[in-house]
Amino acid sequence: MSEERKSLVFSSPPGDVDAVHEFLETVWAENPEVGEFDRMAFETALIELASNVIQHAAGDGGVTCVLSVTADENGLSASLTDTADAGGIVLMDREMPDELSESGRGIALIQALVDELRYERVDERNVWSISRAREAGEPQL
Amino acid sequence: MEFSTESLGDDTVVVRGDGRLNMVSDPPMREVVTRAIEAGRPRVVVDLSRVQFMDSSGLGALISCLKSAREAGGDLRIVSPSAQVSMVLKLSNVDTILTPFASVEEAARE
Repeated sequence: MSEERKSLVFSSPPGDVDAVHEFLETVWAENPEVGEFDRMAFETALIELASNVIQHAAGDGGVTCVLSVTADENGLSASLTDTADAGGIVLMDREMPDELSESGRGIALIQALVDELRYERVDERNVWSISRAREAGEPQL
Repeated sequence: MEFSTESLGDDTVVVRGDGRLNMVSDPPMREVVTRAIEAGRPRVVVDLSRVQFMDSSGLGALISCLKSAREAGGDLRIVSPSAQVSMVLKLSNVDTILTPFASVEEAARE
């Protein structure tokens, strides 16, 4: 299998997470060997990440993001670079909130669905990386 | 994401979504359900059979609607979640309060 790397540039507003879904559809169409569970776990994690970035930047006049996704024999990885100020999102081990809570699950979901979640501040940009190994087993549901 | 509603009996509304339940469709979802509850239909059945994707924003909207329905003396039940939606429900530990029903008829039963 040859490595496939695709990129999407979007600004929010007016762009939103539906742009990320549509972008991923093209990634899946070109990588039919990616299994259904890997696909939905990775897509869920990436949408949670993009939603967090968009939401935290919403009060500051919006954000521009560059998203690249790589599918290769090791698995799936994504890098999301955004123009928001640093420190908007705190990445630490998050526990699921109680069942009637209406928010606070995004980071915990990402951590449950990918093998690696990283954050770096590079040249006044936030750089988020997630990866999920292809052979990773399904989480115990 | 598009929503349609159908009245059932005296106090039940069936809400059908078609698309993705995420931060984009969260506000319209809350609005559709709030309107139905205010119109005297606090028993809400959400048919998810055409919702291919839900994230934590969409889940937050469902839980908010569940609380509104219960406050009005009703309940909110979900029908036919996709594999992805079921995965999010289970990982979020909310499958106890949002237990999926197999059909609208079953969910609408007392």
